[in-house]
Order: sequence, then structure tokens, then C-alpha cells
Amino acid sequence: MIGVILILICALFFPGIIVFVKSRVTGRKGPGFFQPMKDIWRLLKKGNVYSKTSTIIFRLASPVYFASVIMAMLLLPMGDSPGIISFRGDFIFFAYALSLGKFFMIIGAMDTGSSFEGMGASREALYSMLIEPAFFILMASFGMLTGYSSFYEIYNSLYFDSSLTIFTGLLAVYVLIQIVMIENSRMPYDDPKTHLELTMVHEVMVLDNSGFDLGIIQFTSALKFVVFGSLMANFFITPEMPLWLSILVFIAVQIFFAALVGLLESFRARHKLRDNNQAILTLTPISILVFFSILLIITNQF
Amino acid sequence: MTTLLIIIFIITLFYSAISGRMFTLINLLMIQGFLLFGVALIELRELNLLNLILILLETLIFKAILVPFLLKRTIRQNNIKREVEPYMSGINSLLIVSVLIVLSFILTFSLQDTFHKIIYFTAAFSAINTGLFLIMSRKKIITHLIGYIILENGIVLLSFSVGNEMPMIVNAGILLDILVSVLLFGFFLSKIKDISKDFEITKLSKLKD
Repeated sequence: MIGVILILICALFFPGIIVFVKSRVTGRKGPGFFQPMKDIWRLLKKGNVYSKTSTIIFRLASPVYFASVIMAMLLLPMGDSPGIISFRGDFIFFAYALSLGKFFMIIGAMDTGSSFEGMGASREALYSMLIEPAFFILMASFGMLTGYSSFYEIYNSLYFDSSLTIFTGLLAVYVLIQIVMIENSRMPYDDPKTHLELTMVHEVMVLDNSGFDLGIIQFTSALKFVVFGSLMANFFITPEMPLWLSILVFIAVQIFFAALVGLLESFRARHKLRDNNQAILTLTPISILVFFSILLIITNQF
Repeated sequence: MTTLLIIIFIITLFYSAISGRMFTLINLLMIQGFLLFGVALIELRELNLLNLILILLETLIFKAILVPFLLKRTIRQNNIKREVEPYMSGINSLLIVSVLIVLSFILTFSLQDTFHKIIYFTAAFSAINTGLFLIMSRKKIITHLIGYIILENGIVLLSFSVGNEMPMIVNAGILLDILVSVLLFGFFLSKIKDISKDFEITKLSKLKD
């Protein structure tokens, strides 16, 4: 329960920190921490405008997207306490709950009948297809290392003792950060600030959404960052920690992660669209390496 | 600790499959040289001092410094284009190299009794496969040389794994390395540019008086 509350609180200031870091790095003063949330609040108060060509699917898309991320959020453990829903193999449910939301965004975008949105939807579908093996191999290798198959048990029995396990953990964090950047369509893969529809990926899919729908889509994207951030934070929270310390570590990891995203975005140009597939596919070999190094650790052959 | 270095070595293999620039490939060779130096430094403790110093100097000077330097100089002096120009796209190369590396992992795990350190054999076999693949799938002669050096790095790594028991094998690996360097010297000194203007393998298959 405390994990859910923490995730919701962190989601409020997460986009603010990214914007803050980005503007400070480029030498601007930048808006306040809560400006993105104020924008979302303004959108939430507005009504929706629906095109005549769109059907019920388009209206369903953004609420389902929001609900899927909330669903995924409920699965995450927080230190000593398991998630609200926790069962064996829940990381598979986690991945497919997020995919369900994405699927609805994709068919919602197709439903508008705009050619731009179909293009963005096809790219988004391709990218999420390419990161799926990386995520599953990664989680499965940690499952293999610990012998358990739910988030709570995996994180509780994870140990980093030798240099090889620490290195494996670092590789895993690298793969997770890249997965977050792709899932949220951020800088090296997609520029959220671009103004050309032909090169957009995620932004072009929500061109027809307005008002309330757009507000919840933007809030969901902040929430998604924090959900993946708490996947990373759980690496650092051990079950022996007292509650106040684990809360502190959680928030510190989220702030650090937001600052990292801001820094990564400030110092990188986006990839060419052509090179994106290859760059995303690179994550799969790296997670295969994580898998094999964990196999070496288990069989004691390193 | 050596396992860590070897895993970084395998990551450089993945990178070499997708890198689109010659200089990235050469920098990867340099990194591989330093990694091999580190492995030799940690692993080959039981060798006699003279032999060990020879191996360390060879990995450091030849592999990490001299060969990359020569390759870069060759590229600069002969105005070779800086792109790699593969026959297939980067994503396909990456897929093939990952399959090769997974296959070599599976192979080593299936014969785990014969080698007491299977990660060496895996990395060596992956490097040999990747080197062969780079030779097959790239157009320029100089990329073929780079592929051969990667293959040869694999052989040296394999020789390190048995180096404490059989020092002669390490020496044989070093001889191979010196062969590559001489090949490079020849490539560099003789005016091979006059023979094939564009350094492309497709041009070599044409007959000419």
C-alpha cells in the first residue's frame, strides 16, 4: 500500500524534475517543479472533442491506457511489503498489462483515420515488440538467480556479493533505463519536443486527443516513469532496512533517476529513425549476456 | 574479475557487429587489446617471469597500441572511406552475431567437463565466429583484416585459459599475432592501393591484365 502512495506522490514531481534539469543544463531558469502537473490539471478540467469518424474505441483508449499502468503499479513491491496483488509469475502480468494499454493506444490511434497517427502507431508497435524479449530475459534471469518468480520474492532474495553479480546488476539497470526511455518515447529514440509529424513516434499518436483524455495520457506517462523507477529502486532496498530508510531510498532513487533522464536528454541527439530498430535490438543481446553470466554464477563456473 | 573483463569483451563483439564506422571498429580492437592485457595480468600468474613479461608486452604494445595505430594511419593515408559498408544491415548483423554467441554458449555448456573455465572457451569461440562473420559480410579489405584480428584475439584468449599448464600454446598465439602485424606492415608499406583502387573486395574478383 505504501508503495502505491509513494509512486503516486513521486509521479507528481517527476516530470517537473526532468524539465528543471533540462532547463538548468541549457542555461535557462525553467518553470517550477509542479508546472507539468499544473498543465495536466488544466487539461483535466477541460472537456473532450471527438471527431465524427472516430468510434467508441478511440474514447476507450486513453482510460484503458491509464488503467493498465495503475494495474501494473499495484504489482510492485516496496521493500518489505509485497505489492497489493502479488502472485507467481506476476512480472509477466506486469509486462502484458503495460502492453494492453499500449495496444489500446495503438488501435485508438488507428481509429482516428489519420495517416500520421497510423504511422506513429506502427512505429510504437515495432519498438515495443523489440524490447519485449529484453525485458523478459532480464526478469527471467533474476528469477533464475533467486529461484522465485514474483517481483516480491525476487527482490527480497536478490543478493549482490561478488564483482560479477554487481556488474550483472549494473547491466540490468542499463537495460532497464533504456527500456524506460523507449516505453516513454524519450530522447535517444524519440524526441518529445519535435514538431514534425513525420518523425514523431509517441506524440503523433495522441494528436487527436484533447482535454481530459490528453491530461490522463500525460499523467500516465509520468506514472510509467515512476513505475519503472521503482523497479530500479527495489534493487537498492533490502528487506532489513527500516521503513523510513526504505522510503528515503525510494524517493532518492526516483529523484536521481529523473535527473538522469534530464541529463541524458540534454546531452544526446535523437537517433535517426532508421537506426532505432538496431539500437533497440542491442538490448536483447545484453540481457542474454546477463542471463549467461547468471547461469555462470549459479553453476559456480566463473 | 577475469569473468567481468571477458563479459566486456563479449559486449565489444556485439558492438563490432553494428558499428558503422571504421574508427569505432578500430577503437574496439584497442579496447579488446587492453582487456586481453588485463586477463593475462590476472590469469597467467604461474608462468615464469620472462615469458609473462613477453606476453604482457605483446598484448599491450601490439594489440592495444601498435595495430590500431597502424590501421588508423593506413586509413588516413590511403583516403579509405570511413564507413564500414557491409553487405547486410546492422540489425541483421546483430541478430546473426547474437545467434552465434548464444550457440557458442550452448556448445560450451554442453561440454563443460573438459574445460574448467568455460567462460574463456565461450568468449574465444564467440570471437572466432564473430571475426569470421565480419570477414564474410564486409566489403573492404581493411575490414577483413579487422575481422581477422578479432578472430585472432579469440585464439589468444583461448590460449590464456590453458596458459598456466601449456605455455607453448600462448607463444603460438603470439606468433599468430605477429603474423597479423607483419601482414599489416605489408599492407601499409607496399602500395596495395595501386592494385585495387577502392579497397573493395568486389573489385578483386575481376580479371585484369
